[in-house]
Amino acid sequence: MKHWWKILSVLLVLYSLTVGMLVPLKTGIAEVSPLNTTTGEDVTLIIQGYNTNFGDAKGQIRAWLKVDKELSLLAKSFKVKSDNLMTATFSIPDKLPGGAKVKDATLILDSEVDGSSVLPSALFISQKNTASEFDVAEWSRSPIANLHEKDGMSFPYRNVLSETIRNLFYHVPLWFGMMIILVVSAVYSGRYLRTKNEEFDFKASAFTKVGILYGILGLVTGAIWAKHTWGAYWSWDVKQNMAAISVLIYVAYFVLRSSFDDPEKQARISAVYNIFAFAALIPLLFVIPRLTDSLHPGNGGNPGFGGEDLDNTMRMVFYPAIIGFTLLGVWMANLIYRSEIIENKLLNRW
Amino acid sequence: MNLIQEIGFLLKKEILIEWRQKYAISGILLYVLSTIYVVYVSFIQVDPKVWNALFWIIILFASTNAIAKSFIQESSHRQLYYYSLANPIAIIISKILYNSLILLVLCVLCYTFFGLVAGNPVKDSFQFFTALFLGSVGFSITFTFISAISAKANNSATLMAILSFPVIIPILLTLIKLSANALRLMQDTSINKDIMILVAIDLILVALAFILFPYLWRD
Repeated sequence: MKHWWKILSVLLVLYSLTVGMLVPLKTGIAEVSPLNTTTGEDVTLIIQGYNTNFGDAKGQIRAWLKVDKELSLLAKSFKVKSDNLMTATFSIPDKLPGGAKVKDATLILDSEVDGSSVLPSALFISQKNTASEFDVAEWSRSPIANLHEKDGMSFPYRNVLSETIRNLFYHVPLWFGMMIILVVSAVYSGRYLRTKNEEFDFKASAFTKVGILYGILGLVTGAIWAKHTWGAYWSWDVKQNMAAISVLIYVAYFVLRSSFDDPEKQARISAVYNIFAFAALIPLLFVIPRLTDSLHPGNGGNPGFGGEDLDNTMRMVFYPAIIGFTLLGVWMANLIYRSEIIENKLLNRW
Repeated sequence: MNLIQEIGFLLKKEILIEWRQKYAISGILLYVLSTIYVVYVSFIQVDPKVWNALFWIIILFASTNAIAKSFIQESSHRQLYYYSLANPIAIIISKILYNSLILLVLCVLCYTFFGLVAGNPVKDSFQFFTALFLGSVGFSITFTFISAISAKANNSATLMAILSFPVIIPILLTLIKLSANALRLMQDTSINKDIMILVAIDLILVALAFILFPYLWRD
């Protein structure tokens, strides 16, 4: 089986497409209203769930408002309106802990059917002027314990991302694939310069073509993702701009190639440019974005994609997708290379 | 004849050629002066932020024009003659050095003239001149090498712009940031890191130019 890796690449890409698209998200809290309240009052939160089954979980639902590491507040009563809509009533104590004027509280929901879901900064509680003393007993009546885990495979629910979290399996592996393929292309250009074997030049050009394709697909998937999370297809983000410029560098490579008549000269000079351009690509994609703020995860104070966002179920799709897309790219480059060799031979014969 | 001597001779030759046929350097100077004048006439009051961007755009276009000719200008017969006499590495080093020198002069002239007509918002001269120096070296390395590539092709003038502009962007962006800091448009405490990055990019590109040029020149 010489072609096992081609079969593997198709299987891995299909796997990432089916599993990545079909596995449901974990339950989450999509929206809560009202957003703020004052101390000493009873507040009824209207909770909009995502992928939840409040109807089935009736009677076992528990909800907490968590104000800091230790203190939390259990809900007094619940009313389930539909599978995705419920209300929970909390009676807020008279005094905030630590003499704070405003505290943000994290809402935690838990039931056996849905597992647990969390919404950070769901409710802002402001201190009303009262003379009462802070009473710990009012807060920690029921500690958060015995949380449930939803059965079956599911991806994490994140508030801004929601369903678009699946794009991680396509957007990021395409960039990984592009980088690996462009490295291979630069290596072939170097080998051409050392051996003057024209096969290496055809390979370098074929790999660059696939690299451009992946770059454009990476830009498009990124733009769609940006529309849903940042609000616009093009947000003047430094990584978006640099990625667009790096695609331009490689388009220029093909303009350069087409401006020669002599095949030997074409191969030699475009190999030189390919290596030079690759060296300019590294600061473009890996240095400049670190100098300025970016909306991307891991830049400008944003947390990196990792930890709870990239949990083990996501990794089970994410890593195979990287391997799959890269191998698929190598296969495509191989086909382009072979068709170019045939074209070249036919041209030489006639 | 060792490498350093060769470079010395070639550098002297470049300057001598420039001195004898002054049209190239005077053409570039006139280009810079008229661009600055056009900018002045259309803006009159230039805000420091715009000043910074315009300054580097003028330098960018002037340096592409100045350097594009460095390989295209000389006939292929004369180039063959050079290569039979000298080491290709000596040729590329002397071209890069000469172009850095030209660009440095160009930058300083552009700065004086632009400062004269549109005001001088530079607060930290030392930092600004560091940016000018690193910028002219970086532009010179990139543009000299790209002009060597594009000189081999058929329509070299267009290719020069297409090939060099995407490649120059990392250098240009770091330079704009550095000079924005010198104009006190922003306060950056880690400016030394930017300078180091610029030096590192220059070093990588110059090393590649040395490695790749011997493959480039022979026809």
